[in-house]
Amino acid sequence: MSLLEVADLRGGYGAADEVVRGAGLTVGAGEIVALIGPNGAGKSTLLKLVAGLLRPRAGRVRFKDREIAGLTAPDISRLGLSFVPQERNVFGTMTVAENLEMGGFLDRAETHHRMEGLYTRFPMLADKRRAAARTLSGGQRQILAMAMALMNAPLLLLLDEPTAGLSPRAAEELFGTIVSLNQGGVAILMVEQNALEALAVSARAYVLVQGRAERQGEAAELASDPTVRDLFLGGSAPPMLSQNRGDLR
Amino acid sequence: MTILLQALLNGLVSGALLAVPAIGFTAMFAVLRFPNFSVSGVATLGAFAGYVAYAAGLQIIGSLAVAFAIAGAVGLFLDRTAHMPLVKQGALPAAIASIASGLVLENVVRLLFGNELRGYDRPIARDLRIGDIRFSPQQLETMAIALAIMLAVFAALAFTRIGKSMRASADNPELAALKGIRPQRVAMMASFVGMGLVGMGGMLLGLDSSIDPLTGTRILLSIFAAAVLGGLGSAPGAVLGAFLIGIAEEAAVLAVGSAYRAAVGFFAILIVLSLRPRGLLGERAF
Repeated sequence: MSLLEVADLRGGYGAADEVVRGAGLTVGAGEIVALIGPNGAGKSTLLKLVAGLLRPRAGRVRFKDREIAGLTAPDISRLGLSFVPQERNVFGTMTVAENLEMGGFLDRAETHHRMEGLYTRFPMLADKRRAAARTLSGGQRQILAMAMALMNAPLLLLLDEPTAGLSPRAAEELFGTIVSLNQGGVAILMVEQNALEALAVSARAYVLVQGRAERQGEAAELASDPTVRDLFLGGSAPPMLSQNRGDLR
Repeated sequence: MTILLQALLNGLVSGALLAVPAIGFTAMFAVLRFPNFSVSGVATLGAFAGYVAYAAGLQIIGSLAVAFAIAGAVGLFLDRTAHMPLVKQGALPAAIASIASGLVLENVVRLLFGNELRGYDRPIARDLRIGDIRFSPQQLETMAIALAIMLAVFAALAFTRIGKSMRASADNPELAALKGIRPQRVAMMASFVGMGLVGMGGMLLGLDSSIDPLTGTRILLSIFAAAVLGGLGSAPGAVLGAFLIGIAEEAAVLAVGSAYRAAVGFFAILIVLSLRPRGLLGERAF
């Protein structure tokens, strides 16, 4: 049984602007799934439709065996699905500690305990707890954004281009963090422009083209498929990711 | 020198009184994203609600609580029924509707209480003096109450869950919704508290002088100028802007006469929008 099932999903930003046109995908419990594709394919829009930031025009979205299409973002978060947007994913005017508190807004009783756990896991957040989030570097901000999502103790994390704008080293560290989060039991659906790296850490992947999932399969299979490589991955050899990535400190 | 110091003191008192409604105005802008000009009518309503409560025997703090509750409730009702349905079309239609709401409220007050000036019947007390500078104990009391209200607002925003969720929504409403914060609830809270502060501001200004149906209209420009000067959406900015406008208005009275006092607000808005459109403290919400 899949944790998330999306079928025939349609939607976009306006009545005349349907970006996602009948997309479908599944994410199993504890799985990392990558969503790749060219610019404008509707990847980010699909995540927003699932997370409740946009209202689907048609189709089904089932999470934990419950229909969530059309629910509001706060209601979907309450069920244990956390979305980390690509941009503006922290409250810039608030401190790191306040950001984490807001991340745990739905579960006040656990807030303090979870914050301490995240400070241990990401010592950078503990060091910067009183700093305004807008003063953090790009990589630190992504870590904070993910930590905020973890404050909700999610079963599924939706990550929209988590490495966008990061240096290669910071991006690699962030992929390491994503893998370690997944090893802790969190399922991840990730949209990434950095497709080869994303496929290297994912179990399965979907290739989205013009709002539909055109290809799907094992991530390793797709990474070595010549058509997929030529169309979306730049045609080069897959990178050898280091095996011993640490969390971003 | 004495005249300048006296003007400075008067400016600080005016600034403190102006800061309370200016915080309300800017907090509503931060969350609801339109300039709510019905604060003119709501300030007048608050001043009269406090007046009635005070005349009925309540003390100043109790009367302020009545002004807060009535102004907050009416402001919330106007936002839900007349302003917020228009925000989807943009800030301008909602802002124009709020001007109309302010006029309606002003005329409701005129219908109920007439046009004459009214004063809070406070006990007469001898002025206090430091050297040649004079100030009344009532002025001091009113200023202390305004400062206490400001402190309470900042403490609520900094330390309470509701305050933090309002700041989060003002900073990034979409992300706030993803964290489980309900935008409608925060918007209603912002309307109620913001308009409540405006109502208390109207009463505090009435305590310092007198009230009539135009009480709110007279301070509307100063409230707006204070918020723009500090940075629309920034509560510390509104306080800074209110003190600067209060002092500038007193300085203008000294320099060019009281007829030009009202020009200070226009001048401040013109300068800020030309040189630093985001205001002195930018859009740092709270």
